[in-house]
Amino acid sequence: MKKTTLVFRSLAVIIFIAGIAHLTSFASQKDDLNYSYEDSIDLNQKQNLYQDENPKKITKSNPETDYIVGKWKVSYNSDNFKGAVVYSIKKEGKVFNAYTHQYQDEKGNQKKAEGAKTLIIKSFDGYKGKGRYTVEYEDQQYQVNCQIDMVDENTFKLSYDHYGYGDVETWKRQ
Amino acid sequence: MIEFLSKKLDWIDVNYWFYILNDLSLIYIILPFFVLELIRYAYLKKLNKDLILDSIANIITFGGFYVIEIILGLLAITKVYFWIYNNFSLPHLELNWITIICCILLADFAYYWEHRMMHRIGIGWATHTVHHSSPHFNMSVAYRFGPLDAIMPIIFSLPIVMLGFDPILVLLSEVFVQVFQTLLHTEIIGKFIKPVEFIFNTPSHHRVHHGSNRQYWDKNYAGILIIWDRMLGTFEPEVEKVRYGISEPIHSNNPIKVFLHGISRFLKKLKKVNGFKNKLLVFIKAPDWMPTHDQGTSTNK
Repeated sequence: MKKTTLVFRSLAVIIFIAGIAHLTSFASQKDDLNYSYEDSIDLNQKQNLYQDENPKKITKSNPETDYIVGKWKVSYNSDNFKGAVVYSIKKEGKVFNAYTHQYQDEKGNQKKAEGAKTLIIKSFDGYKGKGRYTVEYEDQQYQVNCQIDMVDENTFKLSYDHYGYGDVETWKRQ
Repeated sequence: MIEFLSKKLDWIDVNYWFYILNDLSLIYIILPFFVLELIRYAYLKKLNKDLILDSIANIITFGGFYVIEIILGLLAITKVYFWIYNNFSLPHLELNWITIICCILLADFAYYWEHRMMHRIGIGWATHTVHHSSPHFNMSVAYRFGPLDAIMPIIFSLPIVMLGFDPILVLLSEVFVQVFQTLLHTEIIGKFIKPVEFIFNTPSHHRVHHGSNRQYWDKNYAGILIIWDRMLGTFEPEVEKVRYGISEPIHSNNPIKVFLHGISRFLKKLKKVNGFKNKLLVFIKAPDWMPTHDQGTSTNK
C-alpha cells in the first residue's frame, strides 16, 4: 500500500473519531454558555452566591481531599484586571466552595472582597477535581465547567474551555 | 441512547469500571485461563520443563518491563502528558461514554501504529523481538516484554492527549487495549463466527501475528479491532499451521538473556555497521536493513 494512502486513511480515522468526541462534548456543553447575565446571577443566587456567615452544614473530614481548604491566590493579567485575587476555599457538605476573599492590585494595594462564591468543586479525589467556575466575559458572568489538576499540595491548575474562550489559571496557596 | 452516552460521568465511576476491566482481569480471567492452558498442555502431553521455564522467564521479563514502565509512565503522565494537555491540546473533552469509547478507539489505533513501528524500525524490533522469541503461545507470552517496550506507546499516545482527551483516560484506555491483547495469546480458542473475525482481533488473528511462517511476517498488528489491519494492508488470515518464534531462535529460558537478547543483537549490528549516518539509520530502518547489501523489506522474524 502506498505511503500516501496510509497517511490519508490514518488521518481520516483520527479526524472521524476525534470529531465525534468533540461534537458530543460541544453539544452537551453548549447550553452552559446560553445563560444571559440575569439568568447567571439568578442561578448563582439560587446556589447561595454569597458566603454564609454561619454555615450550618455538617461536613465529614477527609484528610486526602480536605487539604485544599484554605486561602489561595490567583494572579491575573488581563485587560480588565491586573493583579491578584485571594480566594477562600471552604468545605460545605460534600462540595468545596471558593469565595473571593481579597483583591490585590499591581502595586500591592489590598481590598477586602465581597465573598462571592466563584467556584464550586463538585468532585475532588485529592489529585483531580471537577466543578463549576464563574467567569466574567464582556461584563457578563457565566458558569462554566472547569477541571482542577493538583500540581503539588500548594499549587493547582484550574482549567476551563468553552470553544473559543478558555484559560488555565494557577492557584497558589496563600 | 445518545442522551445516556453523552451524559457526564464522574471520575470515580470511570475509575471503578476500568479497575474491574483492567486491574481485576488478571484474577477473574487471565489466571484461570492460563491454568486451563496448562491443563490442556498436560492432557496433550506437552507440559514439559521447557514450557514451564519459558513461562517463568516470561513473567520475570514482565517484572523488568514493569519497573521501567512505572518510572517512564509516571514521568510521562505527570509531567509531559499534563504539560501537553494544558498547553498544546484542543479544547478539553468532558467525560462521558462517547468520549471514553472514542478514546479507546484512538488508543487502539495508536496501538496499531506503535506496534507496526515496533516491527518495522530497528530500535523497535530490538526490544519487541523479546515478545516474539518464545516458541510457545499461551497467556504467559503476553507478559513477555522487552526493556524498551514502554517507550513507543508513550510517544504514540501523545497525539491523543493533544486531541483533548484527559491523560489519565488515555492511560486507562491504553491499558484496556493491552488487557484485551493479553487474552488473545491462546491456542485454546479456534476461530469465532465470521462477523467477529471480520471486526475484532481474535486469538486466530494474533496467532498469525506471532507466526514465523514467511507469509505471516509483519501481519495483524491490531489490538482490539482487526479492521485497522484490513484498512491499512497488513491483514493475513490463519490458514497454514502457525510456527511460533523468530527466525534466529535464542534457545534459552534464562530470563536475563531473554530480556536483553534483542538489545544485545542490535548493539552487535550497530558495532558492525560503518559510518555515523549508517549507525543512525540502523535505528530507524527496517530490522534487516544493511547499508551495502542484503537489504530486505520485512522484519527478520
